[in-house]
Amino acid sequence: MHDLYQFVSGPLAWVAFILFVGGSLYRMIAMLVEVKKKEPFIFTYMSLKYSLRSIVHWMTPFATYNWRRKPVLTVVTFAFHICLFVSPIFLLAHVTLWDESWDISWWTLPDGVADVMTLIVIAGCVFFLLRRLTQPEVQFVTFPSDYFILAIVAAPFVTGFLAYHQWFGYPMVMVLHVLAGEVMLVAIPFTRLSHMIYSPFTRAYMGSEFGVIRKSKDF
Amino acid sequence: MAEPAVTQDEKKEEEEQKVVDEGIEVGISRLTEARIEQVINQVLNTETGARLKTYVNTCIHCGLCSEACHYYMSHDKDPKWSPVGKVKQTLWEMIRKKGRVSPDFMRRAVEIAQTECNLCRRCLQFCPFGIDIAYLISMVRRICHKLGITPLYIQDTAHSHSVTMNQMWVKGDEWPDTLQWQEEEARGEFPTLRIPLEKEGADIMYSVIAPEPKFQAQLIYQAAAIMEVAGVDWTMPADMGWDNSDMAMFTGDNEIMGRVKRTHFELAARLRVKRIVMGECGHAFRSVYDTGNRWLGWSHPPIPIVHAIDFYWELLKDNRIPIKEKYPEPVTLHDPCNVIRGGGLMEKARYVAHALCETVVEMHPNREYNYCCCAGGGVINCGPPYKLKRVKSNRVKAEQLMDAKARGAKVIISPCHNCHSGLKDIKNYYDLHMDIKFFGDIIYQIMEKPE
Amino acid sequence: MKKGMTIIACAFFLLPFMLLSVHSQEDMESVDRSVFDNPQRPAAVFKHEAHNETAGIEECNECHHVYEDGKLVEDESSEDQRCADCHGPEDQGNQPSLVKAFHVNCKGCHKKQKKGPIMCGECHVR
Repeated sequence: MHDLYQFVSGPLAWVAFILFVGGSLYRMIAMLVEVKKKEPFIFTYMSLKYSLRSIVHWMTPFATYNWRRKPVLTVVTFAFHICLFVSPIFLLAHVTLWDESWDISWWTLPDGVADVMTLIVIAGCVFFLLRRLTQPEVQFVTFPSDYFILAIVAAPFVTGFLAYHQWFGYPMVMVLHVLAGEVMLVAIPFTRLSHMIYSPFTRAYMGSEFGVIRKSKDF
Repeated sequence: MAEPAVTQDEKKEEEEQKVVDEGIEVGISRLTEARIEQVINQVLNTETGARLKTYVNTCIHCGLCSEACHYYMSHDKDPKWSPVGKVKQTLWEMIRKKGRVSPDFMRRAVEIAQTECNLCRRCLQFCPFGIDIAYLISMVRRICHKLGITPLYIQDTAHSHSVTMNQMWVKGDEWPDTLQWQEEEARGEFPTLRIPLEKEGADIMYSVIAPEPKFQAQLIYQAAAIMEVAGVDWTMPADMGWDNSDMAMFTGDNEIMGRVKRTHFELAARLRVKRIVMGECGHAFRSVYDTGNRWLGWSHPPIPIVHAIDFYWELLKDNRIPIKEKYPEPVTLHDPCNVIRGGGLMEKARYVAHALCETVVEMHPNREYNYCCCAGGGVINCGPPYKLKRVKSNRVKAEQLMDAKARGAKVIISPCHNCHSGLKDIKNYYDLHMDIKFFGDIIYQIMEKPE
Repeated sequence: MKKGMTIIACAFFLLPFMLLSVHSQEDMESVDRSVFDNPQRPAAVFKHEAHNETAGIEECNECHHVYEDGKLVEDESSEDQRCADCHGPEDQGNQPSLVKAFHVNCKGCHKKQKKGPIMCGECHVR
């Protein structure tokens, strides 16, 4: 277990972060290069003002027509995404590791709060799963890969929660937690989790089209 | 023009018959799997780029676009009619199978892309990522066009564009004849009225869609009357290019779309007009203002395009149209996708409506969130075989109109030809008993005319 | 600043117990976390005698080190002091915070020896 943990938290973590950062940059740059090559007109219409107008509206709960129409989903998806980002980045245990390895540290969440946020992420995954299983319009466009990416996202939080509470065989759960986190990082650029990378761009372009040409709202 | 209302009994008897579209069937019979694969991959690999790829990769399959779509809402939320559902049944499958799909698959694909989506772009406003679903469906249409399986009726209009540069096979002499005929008619009422043909250097070139000279010539009469009363320095072209409509845009025939638009703009350039004012048509506005001009490489229209709503707004704001008295009947305003969601004329349309009418009852939803008429995007142009599907697929519009009617509206104003025709079919099918008018109809009716 | 003051106050208050504790390491079961303001984790399990027996540690200064000007002073040990006497709540130059000092001291050695707990929950047992 000693060696296994050393391995997953050492070399494998390097691999995961390199693939995550490198992969994300690659996907982003490859997209921009292809736009430049084949659809450069897109740049003609990009407008900072309307890009931001669109992004800010969609990143604010209830600021768009569709968010207002779907209050439950809106609350869940915002809670889910906020907790998904905030809890791992500001988790005391994670920052402690950054601090020990790189001598960098930042503000952290109280463990109790992080624990609740983890539960929110897990609950969000359950909500999305149930939505996929029960809502016909979601079911119809669901592929096995959709369950798979949902599992990829849920795994680090479920194992993290178990590891924190030290339930079901601590050292193994801890190793699984590290592995699950690494799998998720690597999956971001190479699965539809890449909406994390792409969505600011698609949003910005749609916002620009609607602002510059169509002079109406895309939110 | 009015069609008899269908009674409830007749409606029950109507069966959803399998539509046989010769354009599709003949095209399909000529297809081979190898040809399909080659065309799909040609379009996906060379004609599209990062945009399509990114849209497909970013879609998280959440279904949040579904309720934007009137087809989906009108079919009891059956997911095969949702925007993403339609993309799934067409483009995703083509991508997943790398183009190796069957002719039967393509039959269904063309049916979805051409007759089950109006490209109204309402779903674009619903997608949290801003995925351009209308663009994705357009690419399916493009593939179908290249495979030669476009529905017969709309393909015929595209052929007409190609041959005559207008949508309705209006021949060279028929056009100026029609204008002169309307001029003559109108001079009975307005003795000094002219429809100035080919007047170089006029402020405005007025352009219409070909159905106007073909069977709605009174609209040209009305437009001429409004120009006369408002004292506008205008002209109409006598040559090819007078038609601003564009069905080639909706069949994915971008090459013909480009030719048609170039002819239109070059005509305006030859006449050295300052602006092009167009009649109350939505898709034509999309074509000259958004799609066609860009396909030709003009980031913005090379000559300013002014939609009728915008033009009437200008005239009314400057008090250039003397009004006897406001239109007395309560009206409701239908916001056409291409000029409202696609052109931002929602407030100007309201200004015009309020300037002309005593009472304006808002539909809900309205402005850029308005429900589509289900006729645009070339769907009505796919012809009678699809009419029943088209009206049944817009029950939600009937409900929306019914609600406006319950709040007093008697007349629907629809400043778009496609919407106009589509709403007429809907009101007949659902026994709505409301009148449908263009802004031009109302202006003509209530403006002061010479004794 | 307030935090620092509190710790100093606590330290004064706890001084008698601290002195006492130096002589009671045989009974030590876990690292005293009372010096922490708002401890987030359970106290790290540490059985002093058993640990040293298993690890074969003879010299106190294997762990109870003394640093001067950032350099380890050989042959000196600090078992008569509280760790918190030197290591404050935050890093100070090269001197790590108390938390980090514990972690690095314990885990660092465990990693080197490839023995002993290195995951959070192995020491902070619930």
